Amino acid sequence: MTLQEQIRANRLRTGVLLLGFALVIVALATLLATVLDVWVGAFALAGALVYALFGVLGSTGMIASMTGAEELPPEQLRSLRRVVENVAIAAGLERTPDVRVVRDSAPNAFATGLTPAKSFVGVTTGLLETMPRRELEAVVAHEIAHVRNRDTRLMTLAVVFAGVIALVADIAFRTMAYGGGRRDGGRGGPIVIVLAVIGFLLAPIAATLLRLALSRRREYLADATAAEILNDPEAMALALRRLELDPTTVRHADASVAHLWIESPTHRVEDAPSGGSALAGLFDTHPPLAARIAALEEAGGFRLPDGLPDEAPFIATLA
Amino acid sequence: MLALWIALGVVALLLVLFVLGYNRLVRLRQETNTGWSNIDVQLQRRADLIPNLVEAVKGYAAHERGVFESVTEARSALLRAATPRQAAEANEQVTAALGRLLAVAEAYPELKASQTFLRLQDELTDTEDKISAARRYYNATVMRFNTAIQSVPGVLYARPLGFREREFFSAEEADRVLPQVDLAPGS
Repeated sequence: MTLQEQIRANRLRTGVLLLGFALVIVALATLLATVLDVWVGAFALAGALVYALFGVLGSTGMIASMTGAEELPPEQLRSLRRVVENVAIAAGLERTPDVRVVRDSAPNAFATGLTPAKSFVGVTTGLLETMPRRELEAVVAHEIAHVRNRDTRLMTLAVVFAGVIALVADIAFRTMAYGGGRRDGGRGGPIVIVLAVIGFLLAPIAATLLRLALSRRREYLADATAAEILNDPEAMALALRRLELDPTTVRHADASVAHLWIESPTHRVEDAPSGGSALAGLFDTHPPLAARIAALEEAGGFRLPDGLPDEAPFIATLA
Repeated sequence: MLALWIALGVVALLLVLFVLGYNRLVRLRQETNTGWSNIDVQLQRRADLIPNLVEAVKGYAAHERGVFESVTEARSALLRAATPRQAAEANEQVTAALGRLLAVAEAYPELKASQTFLRLQDELTDTEDKISAARRYYNATVMRFNTAIQSVPGVLYARPLGFREREFFSAEEADRVLPQVDLAPGS
């Protein structure tokens, strides 16, 4: 898949996402209108749209606060900025994304932003404390790959929309459960109520599945692109191996932004019970790291040695 | 009648293919331009750093005239370079001359400890890293562009329409850029 094909595919997916979001919101509003009152439905629709609008406009700040990413003063961590600059140049981005740091000892990284020019890359302090420069570059290249092929826009929109749907469904469900239903028990009798309850329960699940479905294959693609940008598939594989061997997970992991990170921050994919085959993998935000490493090994025609190279972590090499 | 429609259909199809192919060439050429301007910015920055560095070293080692001259000469060759290959050659010349300059600096502990010198050296390293990053991107875009105008269907119309092969940013005669490998699984 070339870059142009990826961008085109992502544009299509973004369209589908917008359409799906509109459908779910309209369906929820219709449901509310039928079960409760036309005005409740209209109010929910309007509220959801306004919330979505503000969510999209403020998505960068929202995701920054959900992940705890802090902006750095320019003079601080100049070397980190340089790493990001160099990777952005090698990737041919017109503008280098900003860098933000998450104070967390678990190594992890993510990228977000609606356009490449307004994107930022977030790394945890743990990443800087464990990864040597070469692997840090690979991780940054992975994030830059997401920015360049517009994954970040799609994922950012997905975060916002899923949040809106979950909130509307939640409010709707509560309204119905506690006294929202009128004395006469609604309009359509028990069948409509049952349908409505199912609908309200399904909405958040649908939103979650939608988000997860978007997230998994793109990790392989971003790994491959990062390897290509740096011309060093081994560095990417080593970085993933280091993430795999590290036992820590991000502390303030918000499940709704889980798919943004390079490694799943909420739980260890490898630890998931292996039973249930296809269903077991359905709720994972990320493919297992071992599978991602294997894909890189196969494509690059190399085998990672058992141990990791004993190199000084990036932060230790700073003056 | 049917034959006419088929002929028209074929012509229309060819026209569409041509437009798509032409637009692709334009896009690829634009990418090489972007790639080149990235390199150019960094080369310019490197050239701008050199006079300051020479001044800094001169303050301690004024008698090393030969080294200063070779650096200045390499710098003006870099600024004169008109093609990517010339620029790459001049850039290597600069690297060699700067290597000698820094070797001279080694002999002066006070110079090596001076803040100005350290800052300049740091900036220079950064510029060199950025040049090699920009080189990687530019050479990859040139590879894509050249392949596109040398292979069917581009080869049929690229030349008459003014698309010419781009030079790699490389001092060597035959560039050794590895062919692009599509690593993505299942694509």
